[in-house]
Amino acid sequence: MSKLLKSLAIMALVVGAGSHNQAQAESILIKGAKVYTMTSAGTLENADVLIEDGLIRNIGEGISASGAKVVDGKGKVVTSGIFALENQIGLVEIGAIEGTRDSGTELENSGASFRVSDVFNAKSTLIPMNREGGVTRTLIKPYNGKSVFAGYGAIMDMTGDYDSLILSDVAIFATYGEHAAHLSGGSRASALHELNKSFAQAKEYAVNKEAVKRGEYRQLDYSLADLEALNRVLTKEIPLVVSVNRANDILTMLDFAKSHNISLVLSGVAEGWKVADEIAKANVPVIVDPMDNIPSSFESLGKRYENAGLLNKAGVKVMFSTSTHNADNVRQAAGNAVAYGMPYDKALAAVTSIPAKVFGGASNYGKLMPGFKAELVLWTGDPFEVTTYADTVIIDGKVQDLSSRAKRLEQRYKDISTDNNTFYRK
Amino acid sequence: MKVMQFSKSFLAAFVGAAFLVGCGEDEPASHPKDSDSQAFVSQYEVREYHPVLIKNATILTATGEKIENGSVLFSEGEIVAVGTDVEAPSDDNLEVIDAEGKWVTPGIIDVHSHLGVYPAPGVQSSADGNEMTAPVTADVWAEHSVWPQDPQFQLALAGGVTSLQILPGSANLVGGRGVTLKNVPGRSVMEMKFPEAPYGLKMACGENPKRVYGSKGQAPMTRMGNVAGYRKSWIAAKDYMEKWDEYESGLGNGKPPKRDLRLESLAGVLRGEILIQNHCYRADEMLVMMEIAKEFDFKVTTFHHGVEAYKIADKLAENDVCSALWSDWWGFKQEAYDMVESNVALVDKADACAVVHSDSATVIQHLNKEAAKAMTSGNRLGMDIKPEHAIKWITINAAKAIGVEEKTGSLEEGKMADIVLWDGNPFSVYTKAEKVYVDGALMFDRNNEQFQPVSDFKLTTIDTESN
Repeated sequence: MSKLLKSLAIMALVVGAGSHNQAQAESILIKGAKVYTMTSAGTLENADVLIEDGLIRNIGEGISASGAKVVDGKGKVVTSGIFALENQIGLVEIGAIEGTRDSGTELENSGASFRVSDVFNAKSTLIPMNREGGVTRTLIKPYNGKSVFAGYGAIMDMTGDYDSLILSDVAIFATYGEHAAHLSGGSRASALHELNKSFAQAKEYAVNKEAVKRGEYRQLDYSLADLEALNRVLTKEIPLVVSVNRANDILTMLDFAKSHNISLVLSGVAEGWKVADEIAKANVPVIVDPMDNIPSSFESLGKRYENAGLLNKAGVKVMFSTSTHNADNVRQAAGNAVAYGMPYDKALAAVTSIPAKVFGGASNYGKLMPGFKAELVLWTGDPFEVTTYADTVIIDGKVQDLSSRAKRLEQRYKDISTDNNTFYRK
Repeated sequence: MKVMQFSKSFLAAFVGAAFLVGCGEDEPASHPKDSDSQAFVSQYEVREYHPVLIKNATILTATGEKIENGSVLFSEGEIVAVGTDVEAPSDDNLEVIDAEGKWVTPGIIDVHSHLGVYPAPGVQSSADGNEMTAPVTADVWAEHSVWPQDPQFQLALAGGVTSLQILPGSANLVGGRGVTLKNVPGRSVMEMKFPEAPYGLKMACGENPKRVYGSKGQAPMTRMGNVAGYRKSWIAAKDYMEKWDEYESGLGNGKPPKRDLRLESLAGVLRGEILIQNHCYRADEMLVMMEIAKEFDFKVTTFHHGVEAYKIADKLAENDVCSALWSDWWGFKQEAYDMVESNVALVDKADACAVVHSDSATVIQHLNKEAAKAMTSGNRLGMDIKPEHAIKWITINAAKAIGVEEKTGSLEEGKMADIVLWDGNPFSVYTKAEKVYVDGALMFDRNNEQFQPVSDFKLTTIDTESN
């Protein structure tokens, strides 16, 4: 096939699927679905959702719109698109292949200001793989290299467009506990000292900025970029997200945040349930993996499935994270949290509206209401169920392509026994 | 020569089997008359428990049947009856459980686990799964690394897992013997060993062995190095086996050959008594492994991980090889790049033996849901897979993959009463194992703390939980 013919054929396929990201925003009407609005309207059992110009125009019963593409929602469920958290989507292709990994740096003197959103690969196969699973946006997070600070996180959309950035620099990630001790001299005490020292120097820098820049101030231990970054935390412009697991380490971090007067988010929090009241009182949100109950280290001996539910019960804002390649499995994780005591609507909020409130984007995402972005998923059933899948994924009012490298492989090989001519199937 | 050899090994196997009936198991095949080989036999004992009748349940028998309002009767470790018209025997000790709204399946079997050899917490001092000192360590046995106090066994039990094969890791071309356990507490691994289960021998294809040894400047450094390593081992094993055969048939000088633990395990495979459990991701490599099996006249019982198994589903069926697979893991390394979520379903569709495995202390707790995801992926491709079929992937097919399908893995009269009572449809994310029976004895009850075992290690956190 000539190149031209081939591209025509591809175009025809794409148009046929109504699924090209560059296509004009269309008018879409989902009819008769169960809709979790996450607003005071609650859950609508048999509602229509009208989407125009990238936005939700109307939600209710008996909506009609001439010219709109109608999607049958009968027996199906609509929620906001899944907001995956703390992964390396777009920063890694194959975990074990170094050349495909951009999530961390081993450079000395690169800590809080390390920024990975600039190198996000929107054409990574992980994006269609997870979008097909209902993930519409993701908070990407760098790994710790040599510093207790990993760097900036950012919110990216899952369209696969080169311009996938929703919000940059939404938080700075850091670690405390066993790993931080390892990175900073072998003790939690040295890790804590390092955290305190970096913030103290960032404060010093803030009041002596010009002198520091002119070289007329004592030598500080961090790069100007890192000190600037930490100042964004000190001014409460953005939160500090700290990975921490042991109960007393969690309390240490709550004290730390209080003493520096910063906004804190806790991640991991294996033993969070033991100090849930203290976390709630400090008004600190948490990110947990509800599928992880393995006492995998001495700092997480108290890990249990009930963690998410117990934290929620204490009044803590709970969010969920899982892995990178299978970030869409956070749906199953949410289901597991529900199975172990988390109320359903809170589990749904944990993967949609709550992270938007904590990290940004809540003004137009996370609720289904007129004027909000049309970023939603029509599911074949309960989105947390292991037998449910995404029927239609919509981002910015556009129906997304649900094909992926895996789906193409599947098509190529599903009838292998009758046709071995696989290399010519594309 | 070949015929002679076959008939001799057949005879040896027959003698071995007869011998086993009286004396237990674990007779290394290469020298059935060697009394040393009686070491490490199973000391597992069926627990005494009263007879139980579960009635009004939805039952997935793992023979392809779904029975609504069904009953399962078990007594003295064995399944007595399954069906809709099971009569309650007149026995004062009989416990009758009304399971309305609940489901019953055979106990879940995980064919790929590292519990005990990579226990929690995951510290170097108890990471005992990979003997990374030589590419062929057929002489090591996973059971000698199993820490029975690994708290992860109890987590797996709460997920309905009643039997599991513990394997060495995949650093080596031949990593050593695996061991099949009943998921019961034991002070030693011998007290957990599944009676008369055949040994597995772990082999590994691909990236891991060549990386581990190549990075040390040793062989293998390449996939061709991997294959040379396997073939050299089989040549040595064949030679060893023949020496023993000669000795046993009265030929030679009448002195027994010197025992060699490494070759003993490999020769056990050639005699068909030890099952090859082969970590292998890529389709082309699985085909090469089956070619090696043909060359040396042995069988690959199960490929593990097999991310590309769907590409050769027809060949797997033809060679009667089981494939133990994940539902959706991918991308952590190059050879795991070509994952499709319908892998299990496509292998199954080709009439090959499909198994869902874990290789994970987390996934082992959710194998029912992994099977549900694999089923859903197949159905999205237009197949019509129902729970009564998909349950086989984590029960009877898994039993076949480790050679215990005659004893457990389905709800059939006379089989081991390894049974899970679920509080709902096990193919739902919200469903939990409520009661788990191993050989008819209640080992876990979600609603009764007395039947919630904890390992010694876990006592650390029991105290702190109550603060």
